[in-house]
Amino acid sequence: MVIIVEGKDDKSFIVALLNDLRKNGEIVLQDNINFDNYIEVMGGKSKLLDSKHTKYKKIQLKIDNDNIQKVLFIFDCDFKEDDNICGGMEKSLECFSNLKKELNWNIAINVYVFNKNLDYFLMDTIKDKDCYQDFKGLINCLDIEKLKPNKKPIANLYRDLYPYPEFDFKDDNFEDIKQKLKNLFKEDNG
Amino acid sequence: MEQQKHFIKDIEIKNFKCFKDFKADGFGRVNLIGGKNNVGKTAFMEACYINRQYTSQAIADIIFSRYLINLFDELLKEVGIKYILNFINHKAKDIVGGEVISNLGISEIKYFENELKNEKILSNIIYFDTNIQSNKRYDEWYSIIIENGIEDNVDKLIQIFDTNIDKFRIIKSQPKCRKKDDKKYYNLNEFGDGIAKIISFICLLLAKKKSIVFIDEIENGIHYTNLDELWRIILTISKEQNVQVFATTHSDECIESYARVAKSLEDEEITFIELGKNKKDEIRAMVYPYEWFIDEIEQNHEVRGW
Repeated sequence: MVIIVEGKDDKSFIVALLNDLRKNGEIVLQDNINFDNYIEVMGGKSKLLDSKHTKYKKIQLKIDNDNIQKVLFIFDCDFKEDDNICGGMEKSLECFSNLKKELNWNIAINVYVFNKNLDYFLMDTIKDKDCYQDFKGLINCLDIEKLKPNKKPIANLYRDLYPYPEFDFKDDNFEDIKQKLKNLFKEDNG
Repeated sequence: MEQQKHFIKDIEIKNFKCFKDFKADGFGRVNLIGGKNNVGKTAFMEACYINRQYTSQAIADIIFSRYLINLFDELLKEVGIKYILNFINHKAKDIVGGEVISNLGISEIKYFENELKNEKILSNIIYFDTNIQSNKRYDEWYSIIIENGIEDNVDKLIQIFDTNIDKFRIIKSQPKCRKKDDKKYYNLNEFGDGIAKIISFICLLLAKKKSIVFIDEIENGIHYTNLDELWRIILTISKEQNVQVFATTHSDECIESYARVAKSLEDEEITFIELGKNKKDEIRAMVYPYEWFIDEIEQNHEVRGW
């Protein structure tokens, strides 16, 4: 199987989430196998949605050899105002549908698209923490939202201070993506 | 990728050992082969070797390499060539089953017999899967090195691995190393298997210009801290001498070292060949060119078979 993601941050997040699932016995995998092995970093959303990307040739060969039998795409929908072609949820799914058509892979394909982006997604899991208001106050005070409106500086700052395992993966916000990952690792590991 | 005409660029194997119907292409100048146990790494190299040689010499070499080659030299003297050829003929039936060398005939056995009688190893295609090489081979390789006046290169390269050795020479047909401290020559077999293996690689690659070399389990006998130096030597000399190399490994450290050194030398003429089985239990190859291979290693992906 393979999980196709945009960048290294996404990979770190997915690996942390998978390790949490493994720790709780929700995913069973041999001890000597690490999750890195299943994640392909494409180098950005535009590359992930480009069927001509050389990494897709490599994955195609692995599929032909029965080395990959399932695939899960995970990426951000981002903002329509930033990218009129593949920005926003609707356009992102449209672009993904075209990618699927062009790749024409005869294996099980699934997709999870973050609403806005990974940082916004993570923010939803920390907004109930006591310290959140202090973070928010600091960001407002420095007027950072204006400078980097789509980057969610609170999430960036939080991630710098606390590595991924500090996120509360029990939050309902994670349920959908957790289910897709569990399905991917169910029974056979193809 | 600028490749030379004598290089093997692709192969098709039918009904040879564990291979039923197999194709692979895109080979580079240096090709490291990985895969799970019993997936056919060695058989893959044997097929490439036999396919290229297409003579009884190929079969004989594979049989030689499975036994101590020096023992064979002694057998040759003691028992005689007729017995050895009968043995090879008999063994060949077990080894050869497919189309790869289906046209093996008496004339080729005779060709091989003549080669043995002349005590020559003519081939520019070399197969070995043992740390120990025959004195005859060292003699042959070192004669070429002397003819080319590059014996100092051998010494310099050996010192990368063992600073206690300052010279390598063939004295009265015996490969010997001189120790730096007492300036005395010692037989090569008094040193460890690792240094013997490295010296054999250095001599072979320096002597055999425009050749193809097959090395089974390349990391055997080499300490993991020396793997980078091993690859540096193989990649550097093979490029200078225009030698194509195929090697197998089981070792993750060896694969990582290969990627690290290729990247540091910016040697894009390398590949990694991963062997595995499809759902029908047929052997398949994934040939990673430089860019893919480096990316796989950097992403911490498993490439030792599926």
